Amino acid sequence: MIEINNVEKRFGSAEVLKRINLKVEPGEVVTILGSSGSGKSTLIRCINGLETLSGGAIRVDGNDVSTAAGLAAARRRSATVFQLFNLYPHMTVLQNVTLAPIHVLGQPRAEAETRARALLDLVGLTAQADAYPQRLSGGQRQRVGICRALAMQPRYLLLDEVTSALDPEMTGEVLDILARLAAEGTTMVFVTHEIEFARRISDRIVFLEAGELIVDMPAEAFFSEEGGLAVPRIRKFLSKMTKD
Amino acid sequence: MIRSWNALEPHLGFLLEGFALTVAACVLAVAGAVVLGALIASLRTARSRAARAVAAVYCDLFRNVPFIVQLFFFFYGLPELGIYIGAFETGVLAMSIAGGAFVADVIRAGILSIEQGVIEAARVFGLGRWQIFSRIVMPNALRVSVRPMGSVLINLVLTSSILSTITVNELTGTAKIVAATTFMPFEVYAVLLVLYAALTYALSLAVAGVHRRLNRGMPEAVA
Amino acid sequence: MRYADFTPYDLVLLAQGLGVTLGLFAATTLIGLALGAALTVLHYYRVPVIGHVVVAVTELLKNSPVLVQLFLVFFGMPAFFQVNMTPVTAALLTVSLNTAAFAFVIFRSGVEAVDRDQIEAARVFGHSRWQILRRIISPQAAAFSVGPLIGLLVNQLQVTSLISVIGVADLTKIGNILNLRTLEPFVVWSVIGLTYYLCAKALAALGGRLERHLRRSVVWQGL
Repeated sequence: MIEINNVEKRFGSAEVLKRINLKVEPGEVVTILGSSGSGKSTLIRCINGLETLSGGAIRVDGNDVSTAAGLAAARRRSATVFQLFNLYPHMTVLQNVTLAPIHVLGQPRAEAETRARALLDLVGLTAQADAYPQRLSGGQRQRVGICRALAMQPRYLLLDEVTSALDPEMTGEVLDILARLAAEGTTMVFVTHEIEFARRISDRIVFLEAGELIVDMPAEAFFSEEGGLAVPRIRKFLSKMTKD
Repeated sequence: MIRSWNALEPHLGFLLEGFALTVAACVLAVAGAVVLGALIASLRTARSRAARAVAAVYCDLFRNVPFIVQLFFFFYGLPELGIYIGAFETGVLAMSIAGGAFVADVIRAGILSIEQGVIEAARVFGLGRWQIFSRIVMPNALRVSVRPMGSVLINLVLTSSILSTITVNELTGTAKIVAATTFMPFEVYAVLLVLYAALTYALSLAVAGVHRRLNRGMPEAVA
Repeated sequence: MRYADFTPYDLVLLAQGLGVTLGLFAATTLIGLALGAALTVLHYYRVPVIGHVVVAVTELLKNSPVLVQLFLVFFGMPAFFQVNMTPVTAALLTVSLNTAAFAFVIFRSGVEAVDRDQIEAARVFGHSRWQILRRIISPQAAAFSVGPLIGLLVNQLQVTSLISVIGVADLTKIGNILNLRTLEPFVVWSVIGLTYYLCAKALAALGGRLERHLRRSVVWQGL
């Protein structure tokens, strides 16, 4: 379980996150919605330890991410997929996927490579295993990013606007894979602008506004007239997003 | 005016020995300069302020003092400290130290060119600081710095001729002796000039080859 | 006091050496830049054979050791062409040509960096090739070249130290003399090295100010 308790984050005098409370149970898909600058990505970056907390605590299966040992343990249980892919440019696709399994989890190279190839098969990148990332399209790169995350056999998958840098066709490629993972019961924390997709795969939707968590409800309720749509700010947000 | 080139023939073996010594000095100095340069570059990008300052002073100093002065400093100075090494070793040492300052600047630029997101990814996946440095930062930095490093190394080859001033009989040193014994200094030095140019040209081709190899898969515009 | 100790007169010696170094640097810089500019104009007019010869010779000068160039001029030319050659003449000739070769490359890339469209526009308006070079290319190419030129000159200042090898009494030669007499290599070479360092820093600072000044005036003209 990921527990987020009273988390605050300030950059100088700017309060980016204000006393956030959130729990993600194993098997759940939780989507975080909100306009840009609402603090969604910062929240993900707090969970994986790229930002230090200004207040409160985050625990991943009981491991406090503000301690070195806790963060190391938390990072073995979760894996992140980034908006701009952040693949290692000097390594082939296969090397990108196997680096952490070999050098962090200590898997034997042969085993890590077999697993990696199986994952690449799964996302349709069998032929690209030995290519360098720069030769791939954006959609292919992001599928590598997903494989790199899955190779860690994470309990929690953290997805930070993973389709924002992709055109619609490539977005489709990536979302199909995520839908499949969701159906298989992978736990996900999902920051996105893809409203329709979020509605389809999410168990719960969380809405952030200016660093505050203003709504946390089941997906069904969030999109119903008496649930999320009853909140004016969410109604405005949704109508704006679906118009685009 | 035209003299017989045959007069040079008996000295070819001797010149070849000098050439071999030049190659040996350059290979050793290049290795030393790259190791030292990588070390200084990592200090220059370290968190510690003191480390950064020390490395910056190193680069500034050894880049702005003529090599021959550095060479004399070590050649005449080291015995004062009770360190007795040969002229060749002194030459290689001085070349490594001076070359290291230039290599450090090149690698530092390479390190600073790495996207922050790539390093964040490595951190999130649980790699330690040393692993990130050795597996992500350094390979990337070296990859983008091959070409500028090539010109530093070519300069090092040209610099190696200065070792002749401390009694090292490398290519220029042997040529000096041959020029004096044959009384054909013009021919000898003209050939030497072309020889060095050919050597550096070959080196630049090799650098281009390494650059292509290390940048496989990179679009040309980026590489 | 031993004969070998430092004396106040050594400071005069040092000042003389510095004077020779700076004088020779100034002279070779003026000659070298003028020659480099002249070669660039020759190249600009695409004079058939001469253009290629200029490129080949400058490449040879850039890719061979200055020390060997010095030997070729100082020892080789008198023997081959039966001319008199003093150390100072040889030094002036060699370093000037060397500076010219590097300046030529810098100026040429400055010329090539000027937008082709402007040149075509000027041609359409009926300007002659010389007018285009004089009024349109030169000012812009000069602005592009200032930065690299400063780097070149800081480097050429260090290159002048090699003329001590053929007997010119420059700063490095004075260092040699003091080193032999006092047998205090650390003190002597530290002082010599520091003097070069300060000169290089002063030159770079001066160049930086000039560059800022030029950039400001170029921007101001643009508005």
